[in-house]
Amino acid sequence: MQHEISDRRRYLGRTMIWGSAIILLFLVLFQSLHQVGWLESGFTTWRPTLYAYLFWATCLCWAQVILYGEQGKRRLFILPAVLFVVSMVIFPLIFALGIAFSSWNLSSPDGRQFNGFDNVIQMWSDPFYWNALKNMVYYTFAIIIEYIVAFGLALLLNAQIKGRKFFRVAFLMPLMLSPVAVSWMLGKSMLEARFGPISRLARELGWDNPSFFGSPEMARSMIMMMDAWTFIPLMMIMILAGLQAIPKELHEAADVDGATPWKKFWEITFPLMLPVSVTAILIRIIFKLKLADIIINVTSGGPGGATDSVTSFIFREYRDRSNVGYGTFLAIFYLVIIVIVMTILIKVSDRWMKPRH
Amino acid sequence: MKLELYNQIVKSGLTRRSMLKGTASVGALAAMGGSMPAFAGGGVRAEIMKIPGVGMGSPGDPEWQKVGALCMGPVKERVAEGEFKGVELTFMGLNNQNLHNFLFRGFLKPWEEYTGAKINWIDLAQADYNPRLQQSIATKTVDFDIIEMGAPFEGDTAGQGLLNEMPAWVKDQIEYDDLVGYLQPPVGTWDGKAYRINIDGDCHTFCYRKDYFGAGSITGRMNPPNTWQEVNQISKDVVGKTDPLTGLPAHGFLDPLKGWGGFGMYFLTDRAGPYVKHPSDPAFLFDIDTMKPRINNPGWVQAIQDVMDLIAIEGAYPADQINADPGTTGFQQFLAGTGSMLTWWGDIGSNARTSDTSVIGDVVGFSAIPGSDRVYNHNKGAWENTYNEAPNNAYLGWGVYVTNRVEGDSKKRKAAWSAAAHIGGKDLSLWTSAYPSGFQPYRNSHFNYDEWEAAGYDRAFVEDYLGSNLDTYNHPNSLNEPRIPGIFQYYSVAEDELAKGFAGQYGSAQETADAIAVAWEKITDQIGRDSQIALYKASMGL
Repeated sequence: MQHEISDRRRYLGRTMIWGSAIILLFLVLFQSLHQVGWLESGFTTWRPTLYAYLFWATCLCWAQVILYGEQGKRRLFILPAVLFVVSMVIFPLIFALGIAFSSWNLSSPDGRQFNGFDNVIQMWSDPFYWNALKNMVYYTFAIIIEYIVAFGLALLLNAQIKGRKFFRVAFLMPLMLSPVAVSWMLGKSMLEARFGPISRLARELGWDNPSFFGSPEMARSMIMMMDAWTFIPLMMIMILAGLQAIPKELHEAADVDGATPWKKFWEITFPLMLPVSVTAILIRIIFKLKLADIIINVTSGGPGGATDSVTSFIFREYRDRSNVGYGTFLAIFYLVIIVIVMTILIKVSDRWMKPRH
Repeated sequence: MKLELYNQIVKSGLTRRSMLKGTASVGALAAMGGSMPAFAGGGVRAEIMKIPGVGMGSPGDPEWQKVGALCMGPVKERVAEGEFKGVELTFMGLNNQNLHNFLFRGFLKPWEEYTGAKINWIDLAQADYNPRLQQSIATKTVDFDIIEMGAPFEGDTAGQGLLNEMPAWVKDQIEYDDLVGYLQPPVGTWDGKAYRINIDGDCHTFCYRKDYFGAGSITGRMNPPNTWQEVNQISKDVVGKTDPLTGLPAHGFLDPLKGWGGFGMYFLTDRAGPYVKHPSDPAFLFDIDTMKPRINNPGWVQAIQDVMDLIAIEGAYPADQINADPGTTGFQQFLAGTGSMLTWWGDIGSNARTSDTSVIGDVVGFSAIPGSDRVYNHNKGAWENTYNEAPNNAYLGWGVYVTNRVEGDSKKRKAAWSAAAHIGGKDLSLWTSAYPSGFQPYRNSHFNYDEWEAAGYDRAFVEDYLGSNLDTYNHPNSLNEPRIPGIFQYYSVAEDELAKGFAGQYGSAQETADAIAVAWEKITDQIGRDSQIALYKASMGL
């Protein structure tokens, strides 16, 4: 097909791409100069620049077909998505980097001011942030227990038990609830110290003044439990799917060889489940790192920051205190930590993903 | 009037006439709170009070439009019919409880029909309000001509030159001087220029359980406390005793120990006010000339220490108090029969008798916030052993403002101010005080006892209930917070540090207060110290 494209068509395609790109670049430059005050005239908003970007994106896509014919049409399957990601993820990230190294309090009449590494220094000596990061380590380690519980439940639901279908649905229910609903239903109602049913039960059982969010350790544990209650079903369902994919012949062969149930689990089920387990744990870590809603609703990070997650702290810094520059820096720093840790974890887990021999 | 109050009255099927009969009317009148104005004035005032009539169902858009139409007199005196034809205005406000903007729409419908102007609406939930406003300001995308706003945000808006000065004719139209004392300038003004049309009033009052006081009561005291020293002593005295109403452990004062998006700071301020607000000094949070925080002076430290003293005594607070925000102390604890003393806005008073979840309706009493038997004189750096009162006008109520988007277009400017003046009008405010609107009385004319009496109300009740509000509003030493940019940032960070202090992470009240002071200094430096000082002075009318 390629040989059918005429020179004229090729010329048209290139003109479209470069022509629209020049218009876009000119507008970006023109508006930037106006914004920094070097140019008197300019548009009141960046909207014309956005239109130029959309025009360029359209021309770029269109030109693919003009330039490459059938091959270009195939490119259209991916190119709009790439452009969308660039405009909605990459560009904002670059913009965020600019904000992260600025002092930008929305109440300041001076607006955004570049402040170099001041935010880094502030973060370094900010006990609230490091405390939140430390809490995230605790919260993340709780995934080990969540995994064990999820595996146990998955094994149970994979076994031939009565009412298996009912329990499968029942155990999945918490996952269907919004964490906000969970925090009000459990944290604010059932665990309410005086009138909550769980508190009443605790008093019946001899605990005089039940307090579920009074001490740092207790409050942190309760947050962990509420979060676990919501997300254990996610791990469970992934593990269950994995369990059902294990060929029955393997267990039958083990039975023939006279293996004990423990032996069968440890030598067959667990190793075969490793790839699924690692995936489930990694996904769960990603979910855990976003933990904020339950904390914001139930404890606001208290008592004394004991339950603060990084996200809930940034939420207060950013929203309640309009401290956009510092808040953005904290978020970017957190993103960098997440990327590094997750990369290491994925590399390390690659080894485990392969079943043992 | 608060919505729940009105619903309760309507639910009970009372008409105004039957309400005034017999002893049942006493409870109903109490439930009406301090908001029922006179019917006796005749003319428009009497007429709007019949829309729809108490007990005739909850008013909706048709009623709001009728009230708006009847109150058009002052507008028509100043604006010719069709004068604003072609003008489009944008109004940003709240949609709480389906009130606020929804009412304004109805009130302004006849105004739009008469003047020919068109209003576009931006409705916001309370939680979205502050971020939306701050982002509009910071990104220079103010896209509204009229805004419903609390006075604490005046620093962020008027302080940055975003508001339009109120024309003299508007002051005449709304009878500006009718405002209660604390809403008089400097509130609503910057550098001597007026910007705010008031539509609401706010203050904290002291709520207490009457069954904790009197002969044979568990406190052994005949009367509720007059000072914070007494409040703390009572809180200590009732530890280990049984609540006379619920049979559960008795508790004294309910301090919210958890933050509430900055609003929790008002509650520590209730305690600190009488310690730190010296009658000879208008400031209590910052030094006016330097913006140096006073939060770590001995007066504030004493207030924090008072709370820490109670935390240290097991049983002084209910379990999990460290996790109780003001919503919890007010609605889950006090109204549910836990604890015996509390400071709050008017909501607790109205809910106590009307909410289904309240068990304290028959035993709740109200007074102004307690004083102190000593006051810290910051300028002299010494305590003075004299009785001092400093009630807290927390948040200062809602107002309507016009932004400077209307500048340069005299027709649009007049239209915006005319619309704002219509919803802040004297007669219309009478109606919003009496019917569900989300707004409280805020004019001296709302407290005209003769009018109330002439309308058939019990004078003693009216004087007692409305009088306590009026005393706070007009108190010469009341606390009016600095309307500087970012005031809620200061409150928010203070909440975080207080939470650490209350959780025992700082060595003392002084250390906690010092940490807040350091954080406040950082905020001041970040926003800009010189501009903060200038704006602070402007907000104080200095």
